[in-house]
Amino acid sequence: MDALLLLTVANIKSFVRDRAALFWTLAFPLIFVILFGSIFSGGGNDRSIGFADLDGTPASGQLKSAFGGIDGLTLVDGDEADLVARMGTGEVAAVIVVPQGYGEAVSAKAAPAMVTVYTDPSQSQADSATRQLVGFVLSAVNQAVSGQPPAVAPAFESVQTNDLSFISYLVPSILGMSLMQVGVFAAIPLVADRQKLILKRLQATPLRRWQLVGSNVLMRLLIAVLQTVIIVGVGTLLYDVQISGSWPLIGALILLGSLAFIALGYVIASFASTEDAANGMTSAVQFPLMFLSGTFFPIDAMPDALKTVARLLPLTYLGDGLRQVMVDGTPFVPLWVCFAVLAAWLVVCFGIAARFFKWQ
Amino acid sequence: MTSPTTGADPVIRVSDLQKHYGETRAVDGVTFEVAAGSVFGLLGPNGAGKTTTVEVLEGLRTPNSGEVRVLGVDVIRHPDALKPRIGVSLQNAALYPKLTVVEVLDLFRSFYPTGRPTDELVALMDLSEKRTTRTQDLSGGQRQRLSVALALVNDPELVFLDEPTTGMDPAARRSLWDVVLGLKSEGRSVLLTTHYMEEAEVLCDRIAIMDHGRILEEGTVDELISRRFHERAVRFDAIDGLSDEQLAAMPGVASLKHEDGEVLLYTGDVPATIGAVLDASEALGMEPANLGVRKPTLEDVFLDLTGRALRD
Ligand SMILES: Nc1ncnc2c1ncn2[C@@H]1O[C@H](COP(=O)(O)OP(=O)(O)O)[C@@H](O)[C@H]1O
Ligand SMILES: [Mg+2]
Repeated sequence: MDALLLLTVANIKSFVRDRAALFWTLAFPLIFVILFGSIFSGGGNDRSIGFADLDGTPASGQLKSAFGGIDGLTLVDGDEADLVARMGTGEVAAVIVVPQGYGEAVSAKAAPAMVTVYTDPSQSQADSATRQLVGFVLSAVNQAVSGQPPAVAPAFESVQTNDLSFISYLVPSILGMSLMQVGVFAAIPLVADRQKLILKRLQATPLRRWQLVGSNVLMRLLIAVLQTVIIVGVGTLLYDVQISGSWPLIGALILLGSLAFIALGYVIASFASTEDAANGMTSAVQFPLMFLSGTFFPIDAMPDALKTVARLLPLTYLGDGLRQVMVDGTPFVPLWVCFAVLAAWLVVCFGIAARFFKWQ
Repeated sequence: MTSPTTGADPVIRVSDLQKHYGETRAVDGVTFEVAAGSVFGLLGPNGAGKTTTVEVLEGLRTPNSGEVRVLGVDVIRHPDALKPRIGVSLQNAALYPKLTVVEVLDLFRSFYPTGRPTDELVALMDLSEKRTTRTQDLSGGQRQRLSVALALVNDPELVFLDEPTTGMDPAARRSLWDVVLGLKSEGRSVLLTTHYMEEAEVLCDRIAIMDHGRILEEGTVDELISRRFHERAVRFDAIDGLSDEQLAAMPGVASLKHEDGEVLLYTGDVPATIGAVLDASEALGMEPANLGVRKPTLEDVFLDLTGRALRD
C-alpha cells in the first residue's frame, strides 16, 4: 500500500514537472471551452438588433434610446432592406422598423402607433426571446407616453428555454474529449519508462504489477477530477451553463469513461515500441475520436456514413452520456447503453493490454 | 522453495545455461558457482554475454535451458521469491528523470519490507551534494553511483552490479571499489561484470573470463595467470647483434617474443636471465635500454585465450 502511494506521488511529481504535458493536459481543454464559449455564447444573452428609423422625430429617438439602454442589446442602424438581409446572415437577431408618421401617431394618441418587428422563427429560442424583449420595451414606452406610472416594471432576464444552447452542449462534450485524452496519453510516459528501462528495473524489485498499473490509474483519475473541476467551473462561472444531473451518476460515468480510455492507452503502449511511435499512435487515435464522436456538433447532424463510424467510437457514448446526465441533453442512445458500451471497451482493452503489454 | 543458505552453500549455482536470440547464442552453456560472502567477476569484452547471464540470474530474462539457483531459489520458476533478497544495478542506470536523488531512493525503499535509511546510502555513495538534484541533471558517474545505491536500498544478501564503474572517473571508480570491498567485509556476496582488468584483479575473489557466450576459464586471479604462464617476462628494447638463437640459449629462458621493438624473454629464473642479457650486451659495447621485468596480467591471459586484446 505504501509502495502504491509513493509510486502514485512519484507519477504525479513527474507529470507536474513536465511543463509541456501539464500544459497540454490542463490548458488545452480550457482553451477549447473559452474559445468556443466566446464564439458561441453570443446566441444566449448578447444580441444585436437592427433599428431602421424611418420617422426621425424625437419620439422615435426616445424609442431608440429605450432599446439602446438595455444591457446586452446592441442596436445596428441601417435601412430596412439592408437590415433584413443582415438578419439572414445572422448578424442581427431581429429588425425593428419605425415607420414614417410614428411621432405624429404617438402625440395624437388617436390610434396605437405601429412599429414592425422582423424576427426569425427558425431560430426558435432567439425568436421568442426577441419578441418578449420588444414587447417589454414597447409597453414601457407606452406607459411613459401615457404619463401613467408603470404598473409593472419589467425586469429583463435571460430567457431559458429547453433547447440546449451550444455552450451547454459543448461543456460536457469537451469534458468527454479531455477524459479521452487523459486516458490515451497514459501510453506516452509508459512507453518512455519502458524505453528508459525503468519498468525493467522495477521488475527486479518486489513491486507487483497491479501496484504499478494502480499507481498509473490513480494518477490519471486525479487528473480527470482536476479537468472536470476546471471545465465545469469555467462553463458554469463564465458561460452560465447549468449542471442539472446527479453528481453520483456524473461521477460514475466519468470514472467508467476514464478507465476505458486509460485501458485504450495501455493498448497503445502494448504496440508502440518507442516514445515517438507512442506519440504518433496517440494522435492517430485521438483526432478521429475528437471529430467523429459528436464533440463539436450533434451526431444527428452528421452524414449517415459518419454516423455509422460514430456509433463505433467510445467517445460517442461518453460524450452522449455526459450530455444526458449533466445538461439534460437530447439522448443519441439511452444512458444505459452508454454505460454498457464503455464497460465493454474497458474489458476488451484491458484484455488486449494484459495479453500484449511488455515490460521490457 | 527458499532454503536458508549456510556458509557452505553457494549463493549462485548455474549449470549449462543457454539463452538464444534467433541465431545469436548470447549465452551458450555457462556453468559456475559463487561462494557465499565472496566477490565473483564476469570478465569479458562487449557482447560476451555477461549482461544476459546476470539478468537471467536476477529473474529478468527467461533462459532457453539450464538450471539456475540463486540464494537457494529456483529463479526460473519462482523469480518473485528472490526479488526481496537481492540488489540489482542494471548496466544502464534506469532512473525516473524528473525525480530527485532522495525521492528515487525513498521510492525504491518503499518497495521492500526492510532496508537501509536513505541518508546512509546518500553518504555511502557520496551523493550528499546532489540530494535534491533531479536524476536527469546528474553526470554519468553520479547516475551510476545512484544506481548502486538503489541496489543497496533493501540491505540485500546478494548484490548484482553490471559494469558498475563504466563512465566513472578514476577517483569515483576507486571509491566504488571501497564500497564493494565493504559489502564483502559485511559478509554479503557480490556478482559483478566488468571489462576492466584492474577492477577484476582488485575486487574479485574469483573470475570467469567470458567470450562469445561461453566461460573460457574460471578461477582466482593467481590461478588464471599461473595456469598459463609459469614464467615471467624480462623485457628490453631490441639490440642489433643479439640473435634469437643467442637469446634463447640464455639461462632460464623458455621462449621469446618480439613486440613493438621490444624483446620479451619468458624465463623461470629472472636474475640469471638478466645477468646473461647484461653480459651479452656489454660484449657488444651496448647497454640494454628499458630493461625490466613484467608479471603476466589477466590481459595476457585473455590475449592468450582469445588471440585478441580485451578492450577494443
Ligand atoms: N534482447 C536481445 N535481443 C537480441 N540480441 C540480444 C539481446 N540481448 C543481448 N543480445 C545479444 O547477445 C549477445 C550478448 O549480449 P550481452 O549479454 O549484452 O553482452 P555483454 O553484457 O557481455 O556486453 C550480444 O551479441 C547481443 O547483441
Ligand atoms: Mg553488458
